[in-house]
Amino acid sequence: MVNKTSMSRKSVEVTNHAAMTKLKRRFSSQNAGLILLMFFILLALPFIPGFKPWMANQLSLVLVYVIAAQGISILTGYTGLVSVGHGGFLAIGAYTSALLVKYTGVDIAIAIVASACMAGAFGFMLGLVFLRLSGPFLAIGTLGFAFFIGTLINNVPFFEGREGISLPVNKFMGVVLSDVSFYFLGLGFFALVTLFIFSFVRSSVGRSLMALRDAEKAAQSCGVNRFFYRMLAFTVSATITGAAGALSGFSVRYVSAEVYSDIWYSVDILVAVIVGGSAMMMGPIVGGTFVALLPFLLETLADLSFILKGLILIAVLIFAPAGICELIARPFQRWRQLQIESVGKETLVNAPSAVMHQH
Amino acid sequence: MANILHCANISVKFGGVIANDNVSLRIEEGKVIGLIGPNGAGKTTLFNVLSKFQQYDTGHVYMHGKLIDSKGPSDMIGLGIARTFQNINLFSELTTLDNILLGAHRLTGNPIANMYSFKSARKRERKLVERAGEIASMLGISDELDVVVKHLPYGIQKRVEIARALAGDPKIILLDEPVAGCNDEETAELREVIRKVNRDLSITILMVEHDMSLVMSVCDYIFVLNFGSNLAEGTPAQIRTNPEVIKAYLGQEVEP
Repeated sequence: MVNKTSMSRKSVEVTNHAAMTKLKRRFSSQNAGLILLMFFILLALPFIPGFKPWMANQLSLVLVYVIAAQGISILTGYTGLVSVGHGGFLAIGAYTSALLVKYTGVDIAIAIVASACMAGAFGFMLGLVFLRLSGPFLAIGTLGFAFFIGTLINNVPFFEGREGISLPVNKFMGVVLSDVSFYFLGLGFFALVTLFIFSFVRSSVGRSLMALRDAEKAAQSCGVNRFFYRMLAFTVSATITGAAGALSGFSVRYVSAEVYSDIWYSVDILVAVIVGGSAMMMGPIVGGTFVALLPFLLETLADLSFILKGLILIAVLIFAPAGICELIARPFQRWRQLQIESVGKETLVNAPSAVMHQH
Repeated sequence: MANILHCANISVKFGGVIANDNVSLRIEEGKVIGLIGPNGAGKTTLFNVLSKFQQYDTGHVYMHGKLIDSKGPSDMIGLGIARTFQNINLFSELTTLDNILLGAHRLTGNPIANMYSFKSARKRERKLVERAGEIASMLGISDELDVVVKHLPYGIQKRVEIARALAGDPKIILLDEPVAGCNDEETAELREVIRKVNRDLSITILMVEHDMSLVMSVCDYIFVLNFGSNLAEGTPAQIRTNPEVIKAYLGQEVEP
């Protein structure tokens, strides 16, 4: 008996990694479960009695903001490059699909893919230029890009300026879409983008981007090719935002320079990721929803939303620089960490033999 | 034994300042080499030349006798050259495990395959995680694997940095002031780590360091720089008694 006690005491130094890993795995499946739950709720919303088609329209707009914010989060959150010009990519996406549908009458499935590719191509070319800049210079450069696109669509007759381009009913794979079914399409798109970002961020690619963000030189000496990874981030980010732009055009079936030449579009999606939390999955989702719904919730005081957004942005930067989601998640993560640690130790005292197996 | 890394006639000018003037350095395989000199002697500049972060005006750098002048900093680990940084330069928002895995970046393979967790990629990743665990336990940081590194104490962070350098399977590690800012206890621990890395893993080490007792006790051979030029080289015993070196560090005695 004495012998046994001394044995367990001796092994207190060692932690039980197996139990900890098991718990960690359970926590991460809980996370996945939460995201799935969110999707089911979003999917079920239109079936709630009292749901009106205009609400679907509003929700589609929310999805547009969320997807655009997800696009910018790859650049700003994970790679640490601030872009104030992503509204430009949104406009490229919206105009590519609007013009395609107007002149060729293609299915919106094709138009969305084409828009994403077009924005991605622009992103690639701009990346070649802009990624020579960093920090505030990059921000100003991208801002210039957004102004350039804004001026272009305002003044080149082909883009029909403030008159705008009205689009026919949306046809997806030959099926005519109502407002509600367009919302489902947006939801499907949102799911795709979320899955993509999940695999992007959790793989060695995301790891390399975050390494470049945290310590550029160290990342390089680890063999991370700065040019390749930053170009990849810029291009992917532009592609996703371009797809969001296509969706935004189709959701209201009208594209005009009045909306897309507005620099506030760029600022809004940047505010969305910063308020929500730029380097986490939920950040753009919460932030995009917030930015999209704020003017709507204020109803007649919609103009007040500019002031409110500014105030909230300042508050977030002071009190939760990593975003609202991080602030909410922090106590939970802490609680989980404590649980993981205690599990590691508890098993240890009760079952020294299990510990012996480890080593 | 043959030189693993050597440079010849390196000159670096910053405007009017000559940071390195015709400096040469030979690093013999399997040895621990020290690079010392008073402040401003050009050690860090030379270090950055060797790891390709610094462009040089004249001279050449060779790895295993092959010219590597045209390579960039991110090619170095592929050639077997890893480095650490003077002030800790970790990926502060990532965990220890991720930091070590990034050290093994060149072994991670195709990024697209990784994103979609193809079977081979998953297998490779699992192997890398396993190896990261081995490296961590060798350096005594296996309990820290899941901790975000910015929360770790200084001495542990230093070890994480060495672990990260080791993960890329280098043939030589360039250590830039490995014990700067460490207390005596941490210094003693790191001395053991450096010895272990050199002996057990037979990795060559080049170390810039101001802690003379560490340099003298660990290094097999020492190069001394002063005012950007080679001043002396030799075994620790030779360097300790070299009058030129003593003069450079302590100044010349004034005749009474």
